[in-house]
Amino acid sequence: MRSFSFIFKQFSRSVLLIVGFAFLGLSAAYAQTDAAKGETIFKSKCTACHKIDQIMTGPALGPQLTEETDDKYLIKWIQNNQALIAAKNPKALAIFNKFEQKAMTTFTDLSDADVSNVITYIRADWKTIQDAKNNPANNAGAVKAEEGPSGLVIWGLVGVIVIAFIVILVLNKVVGTLERLLLKNKDLVIEEEAIAVDEHGVAVDKNVLLKKILKNKKLVFFILLCGTIAMGSWGWVSLWNTNVHTGYQPVQPIKYSHELHAGTMKIDCQYCHSGAYKSKNASIPSLNVCMNCHKVVKTESPEIHKIYDALGYDPKTQKYDSTAAKPIQWVRIHNLPDLAYFNHSQHVKVGGIKCQTCHGPIQTMKEVYQYSPLTMKWCIQCHKRTEVNGKGNAYYDSILAAHDKIKKGEKVTAAVLGGIECGKCHY
Amino acid sequence: MDSNKKYWKGLEELNKTPEFVEKNKNEFAEPIPIEEVLSGSGLSAKTPRRDFLKALGFGVGAVTLAACQKVPVHKSIPYLIKPEEVTPGVANYYSSTYEGQAILVKTREGRPIKVEGNPNDVFAKGGLSAQAQASVLDLYDVNRTKDPKIDGSDAAWPEVDAFVLRELAAIAAGGKGIRIVTSTIHSPSTLAVIADFVAKYPTAKHINYDAVSYTGIIQANQNSFGKAALPHYNFDKAEVIVSFGADFLGSWISPEEFTRQYVSNRNSKSLESKKMSRHIQFEAGMSLTGTNADNRYPIKPSEEGVALLSLYNAVAGTSLAGSKKLSNKAIDNAITLAAKELVAAKGKALVVAGSNDVATQTLVNAINSLLGSYGSTIDLDNPSKQFAGNDQDFVAFVNELTRGEVGAVLFLNANPAYDYFKAKDFTDALKKVRLKISFSDHDDETALLSNVIAPNHHYLESWGDANAVEGYYTVVQPTINPVYNTRQAEQSLLVWSESPVKDYYTYVRNTWDKGLLAKGGLSGQKGWEELLQKGMIKTAPLAAGTYTFGHELNAVAQTILDHSASLVSGDNFELQVYQSVAMGDGKRANNPWLQELPDPVSKVTWDNFAAMSLSDIKKLGYEEGDVIKIEANGYSVEVPVLAQPGQAQGTISVAVGYGRVSAGPVGNNVGKNAFPFYSFRNGTLQTTAVITKFGKTGIISPLAQTQTHHSYEGRSVIREASFTAYKKNPAAGSGNEGEHKDYNKTSLWDDHDRPVYDWVMAIDLNACTGCGACVVACSAENNIPVVGKDEVKRRREMHWIRIDRYYSFNDHGNSEEAVTKEKEIAKLTNFDNVSVVHQPMLCQHCDHAPCETVCPVLATVHSSEGLNQMAYNRCIGTRYCANNCPYKVRRFNWFNYWNDSRFDNYLNNEHTQLVLNPDVTTRFRGVMEKCSMCVQRIQAGKLKAKMEKRPLKDGEIKVACQQTCSANAIVFGNRNDKNSEVYKALQSERTYYVLEELNVQPGIGYQVKVRNLSELEA
Repeated sequence: MRSFSFIFKQFSRSVLLIVGFAFLGLSAAYAQTDAAKGETIFKSKCTACHKIDQIMTGPALGPQLTEETDDKYLIKWIQNNQALIAAKNPKALAIFNKFEQKAMTTFTDLSDADVSNVITYIRADWKTIQDAKNNPANNAGAVKAEEGPSGLVIWGLVGVIVIAFIVILVLNKVVGTLERLLLKNKDLVIEEEAIAVDEHGVAVDKNVLLKKILKNKKLVFFILLCGTIAMGSWGWVSLWNTNVHTGYQPVQPIKYSHELHAGTMKIDCQYCHSGAYKSKNASIPSLNVCMNCHKVVKTESPEIHKIYDALGYDPKTQKYDSTAAKPIQWVRIHNLPDLAYFNHSQHVKVGGIKCQTCHGPIQTMKEVYQYSPLTMKWCIQCHKRTEVNGKGNAYYDSILAAHDKIKKGEKVTAAVLGGIECGKCHY
Repeated sequence: MDSNKKYWKGLEELNKTPEFVEKNKNEFAEPIPIEEVLSGSGLSAKTPRRDFLKALGFGVGAVTLAACQKVPVHKSIPYLIKPEEVTPGVANYYSSTYEGQAILVKTREGRPIKVEGNPNDVFAKGGLSAQAQASVLDLYDVNRTKDPKIDGSDAAWPEVDAFVLRELAAIAAGGKGIRIVTSTIHSPSTLAVIADFVAKYPTAKHINYDAVSYTGIIQANQNSFGKAALPHYNFDKAEVIVSFGADFLGSWISPEEFTRQYVSNRNSKSLESKKMSRHIQFEAGMSLTGTNADNRYPIKPSEEGVALLSLYNAVAGTSLAGSKKLSNKAIDNAITLAAKELVAAKGKALVVAGSNDVATQTLVNAINSLLGSYGSTIDLDNPSKQFAGNDQDFVAFVNELTRGEVGAVLFLNANPAYDYFKAKDFTDALKKVRLKISFSDHDDETALLSNVIAPNHHYLESWGDANAVEGYYTVVQPTINPVYNTRQAEQSLLVWSESPVKDYYTYVRNTWDKGLLAKGGLSGQKGWEELLQKGMIKTAPLAAGTYTFGHELNAVAQTILDHSASLVSGDNFELQVYQSVAMGDGKRANNPWLQELPDPVSKVTWDNFAAMSLSDIKKLGYEEGDVIKIEANGYSVEVPVLAQPGQAQGTISVAVGYGRVSAGPVGNNVGKNAFPFYSFRNGTLQTTAVITKFGKTGIISPLAQTQTHHSYEGRSVIREASFTAYKKNPAAGSGNEGEHKDYNKTSLWDDHDRPVYDWVMAIDLNACTGCGACVVACSAENNIPVVGKDEVKRRREMHWIRIDRYYSFNDHGNSEEAVTKEKEIAKLTNFDNVSVVHQPMLCQHCDHAPCETVCPVLATVHSSEGLNQMAYNRCIGTRYCANNCPYKVRRFNWFNYWNDSRFDNYLNNEHTQLVLNPDVTTRFRGVMEKCSMCVQRIQAGKLKAKMEKRPLKDGEIKVACQQTCSANAIVFGNRNDKNSEVYKALQSERTYYVLEELNVQPGIGYQVKVRNLSELEA
């Protein structure tokens, strides 16, 4: 009986707990939904002209909405500001004139609830921005905490290795002592050892150990063999990899993250590297391509400001000063020697090869490194393996037909079409 | 029937001089001095082992240290704001104009790297001369004037403008004359700008001054028909062409256009319809045109007038007062024969003369009138505007200067301090002028004498237009921002005439909007854009009227005879001054591509010379390379002697365009100036003179002559036939009269698979005139280094394509002079009667290439597209391939020409290297190179087709040499495509392969040279 009530108590408690948590969670979730809905609308409709913390085409909405608490007026303004201006609402006229009578787009399709969601989001976001500003220390702490564990793990590993080493040594010593004890028991005292112990102490002892090791011819041979193999293979590998810079990851003038742009944001590679489809160079985007987004996006970031500086662009006045412009000097990562001709469009457009085939998981790279060795062997291996996809390309019709006659049934790789002949890349 | 005719490139080859034989034994004239090292103090010295170890130790250490260099960090700098039309790595083409000829300019990332012909150009239909090809290099000339200058020191443009305006105002107020001296201008906008300037300063006057002028023709047309114009010649309508010293394929008026026209009556297509024009040339020195003639007769300058009179008499059937028979009977016969042929081809005949003498040209007009040439082969109603210079005007101008009547002179593209025949008079007189302004983009001879240098843009940096021939308007547009602080001359003139139009671009637009666009049926902004895209408009030509010469000729005849008599003075030699094909009048003397282009006839680079006939040289005991002093018209120069087969005996020819002293480090003191040999007579400048004195100086200056480099050791490579024989059997002379000999019956080598493409070439020897434009085009396309005179002398020129010029003795007419065997040569006395064949020679891309089999490192291998590939980075420089190449077309990089201070003046500087083609690597020291058949263009063409998802079209890919050839002598394409032009050309009965008996299976087929000998001679 007792046990039953105990179980029941436990059960009811957990049920209560779960229900309680669920309720809390739900309410929290519900509270968030307003702001989240607002954020979606804000991002799709407002960001072209507004920012929360900065004046753009229109006013900075954070401070504006903190000042203005009359939500009903705000809803009316956002839905149809033209009507308010036409009705000569003094508040509306004031802001209209302040921004040089630039008309704001009307959003009559937004319901009152939508607009209030947007307002909720803006206020909430403005609050977080200000909190962040007031407690910069907190943020720094968070970053440090983030870095901490990785160091700990490494040191922990080192510690484990050291301890394991000590354990091995101690065990060795124990085994040695036990062996000696065993021998002593059998009255087989080793003479050398007796001599070594009597006068010179530890130093002599060590020499003796070395001599003992050197006398073991098998061991010496084994160590030499290992050494030779190790040195030889190291030499071999390093010679073969002279001037191969796989993993080359230089520091770039701007901390541009492919992980963010190509990975998270899923921006198409060709958006920036537009040359890949039509030229031999994939081309590094010129800064006007960056400005398509970054005129608006993340304007406060010091990295983005490097773009502004390079262009001579002043985000406050939104004016360009070409005399202050100075190009950005990126560090080239993929350096093909001049003697080799490589054409991106041949591979990307004609061959339909993915960028990742050569550049690796670029969408996960915070900083880009050289993924492929870019050696001739690497080129040729791929040309030997890759079957030419000539479907839908009239250029290949006659060519593949001609090859079919010669090599019936065999795979037509790039190499078969002459893709590994010298003159295809070296001229 | 294989011809047993003897062909030779130079007299040393003909005579088998010991030196020639020795040098010809080896592929490389100068061996590496290994023998010396081994036999000298090298290995037999006392402590060779220790020295060896020392050297070894040092070597290993040095190499290790050198290799310890860190990998360089490469920067990649994108555009800040990329221009919309630029895609890095893709070339853009812009239409523009070079000297009146529509061109396309290839630019990469905003810098022009090559000039190509515009296929719609009316002159050469896509062909382009060597000079036009080379003009892009001038843009990157580091010796250009970089800033405006006042009195020799750099100044800013506003300072210059203030100074010039102040001075001009003062001069105009003082009533003194202002003169604008230019070489011929046919640009409507520039002429309008000058007119505006003249309107602003009423004392101003525009003077056209051409260093080499055609005043004689213009004046003669004025006298004969009342039309002071340079006619537009139609060589394509002429069935019989007789030329008296006019080098119309090389340097006369519009050579590229004439080449296209001339060849259209002699190429494969014409031959297949059993038609071929006849060309007879009478001249003193061997010209490029002379080498192409069916019959060429060497005559002295003094005989030219008499010969023309005889021709007139023969054509007209009259006898002009004072006319006499030529003393040379052979020439007299030839004239009679030529007259017969001309009359037979009435209405389709053309007589031209290179002389700048009014009387001579009047006589030529009379002959042409009798032959009914006007309205068919000569068009006076759509005249050429390429040359409008008037010698008389300029002489009068110099007199004005001397009298101190001129207050200001402006020089635009004119350099009289160098090319005026009495330069001293001119420079002395110029000192009296208060304001001298030069628009020259180099500190040239005249610019150095000027107060103000207002450097003009290079034409690739300029806006403008041109109207080189009536009804043909082309546009000049900039393809790069000005490289230096220069300003377009027209812009300067606008500023100085205080024009309401502030910039020249607007001015050009206005000119076109006002009337020119409408001529092409265009209008407005859209019309202007279309014009910029097409590059030109062509209005319907006016009907070419017939003109009849109706003047009295006796006075003319007397003038001619007097002139001829003045050239004869006892046994004195006669001097002929001519323009060389590469240098022209010397304006582009600072261009290393042109300096290194072998002269099409003499094959001399980097020099001018005194061309003499071999018998004269023998008589006088000279040797080639002896420097002689020539004195005529009170001027003398010292130039080396060259034995020129075909040179008329008793004459010496010297080229103008050399001897610049202020052209820049490349052109300075190359050769000697021959302009002062000109004389002013009867209102025009004469190019002939009596040599009053000449003799050896004792100095020997060997010429850098490429003619006997890369010889075949007497193997027969040329095949030719007469037109009569061709008509009987199209295969005549080709060696396949029966059927093609199959040398491939037994072969050591397996055949290469060429499943899809088989890139080959067909070269028509009957179309090739040997002008050499392809050589420069190839240099520009393939980044071929310039090596300089010294290296050329060592047989180390790098050109991938060369034009071999072969002489042979005429075995027609005089049967006793037929030379077929070497032993007969010694008996010859007359070396003048030679005929010439030009043969472009480049890598033959043999299917069984001898070079491939000997390469120890497989650096040269065969591709599945029939190309003989060269992987530079594999090459270790054994040079076996060059030794084993029967065609001698492989070139070895003796130096790192791109980074060696010895070649600073040519291409070893960062600025000039901007002209390099980024799709072709530059080769390093110790590496072999050769023609790649423009593999970069093949690859690009294929890629374009792939991207557009369509099969490759025949003729889509053009190689550089083919593209620039005005004569269309070179056809390139895929032999596997049975419908391709090249396949058809190679199927021609005339096709033969050079040295096909070696069974190397060359990929380039040549078509037999056909000579249209007269019925009597053939």
